[in-house]
Amino acid sequence: MIPCTDFIPAYSELFKFLEEKGGKKAVTDFWNYLSDNFLGNLKSLVEQNGLRGCWMYWNHTLNEEAADFTMELDEEAGEFFITMHACPSKGRLIHEQHIEPYRDYCEHCNTLYRRVLEPLGYEYTIDLSGCDEARCKLIVKTK
Amino acid sequence: MAKEIMDRRASDNVYLHKDFHSALSTSIEYLHRHFGSEAVSEYLRKFTRTYYAPLTVKLNNNGLVALKEHFQKIYDIEGEKIEISFTENELVLTIKSCPAVKHMREHNYPVARLFMETTKTVNEALCEGTPFKAELVEYDELTGHSIQRFYRAIL
Repeated sequence: MIPCTDFIPAYSELFKFLEEKGGKKAVTDFWNYLSDNFLGNLKSLVEQNGLRGCWMYWNHTLNEEAADFTMELDEEAGEFFITMHACPSKGRLIHEQHIEPYRDYCEHCNTLYRRVLEPLGYEYTIDLSGCDEARCKLIVKTK
Repeated sequence: MAKEIMDRRASDNVYLHKDFHSALSTSIEYLHRHFGSEAVSEYLRKFTRTYYAPLTVKLNNNGLVALKEHFQKIYDIEGEKIEISFTENELVLTIKSCPAVKHMREHNYPVARLFMETTKTVNEALCEGTPFKAELVEYDELTGHSIQRFYRAIL
């Protein structure tokens, strides 16, 4: 068994494996598939609760992933923010001495969530400029 | 409606996100469907040789106790009690139910047809380049119950 605590390195190595098989397109095709087949809970929560569904989804995942983050929800303004001070996934990949993170590892967060949220009528933005230091900022706004 | 803010440090929580089992299962099913069963094995072997390389070094240097400690640790993290039979030349793990399969079944997540390979192929790859071999003696797809044997093949 691969424990859930070792999933992130397995995920990063999968991106490399797919790129070897079919280039970057094979990686993005997989991200699209994962978004469609694994993020049904995010989609349902947002469909049922609006922007609050984002809060509910990431409240669960980020706490279980022991992330270092600030999350803000302003339903009146139609805004939801996550400021990731230390991403546990990218941080893990950076700190493991014997593995190299997939070059575009953080891009999966751009593809996976955008693909769920934009068709539901939200504007999705993610600033990955700090991803080499395991930092990013995610913004979801009501259009 | 007031603005809500949640501020968390990494030390506020324990790192245990069991839905990652489902993400891995979805990944395995994707590989199987789009690249075939050989690709599933190839990927799991590559991942194991890369990520678990330090464990294979320990297996070579210290023998089966390295695997015993590894499996004790990971099943403990996942909250599953396992039975271990251990000698210098043989390690047998009896897993009543796999924590990954249990989590996915409890939440009605689909389990990949080749999910068993995350045990079988990974165990075999852990032993590559060592005097030891791995054998999956029993595996139940419904519960993930398994008997996993590691033994010295070269005396």
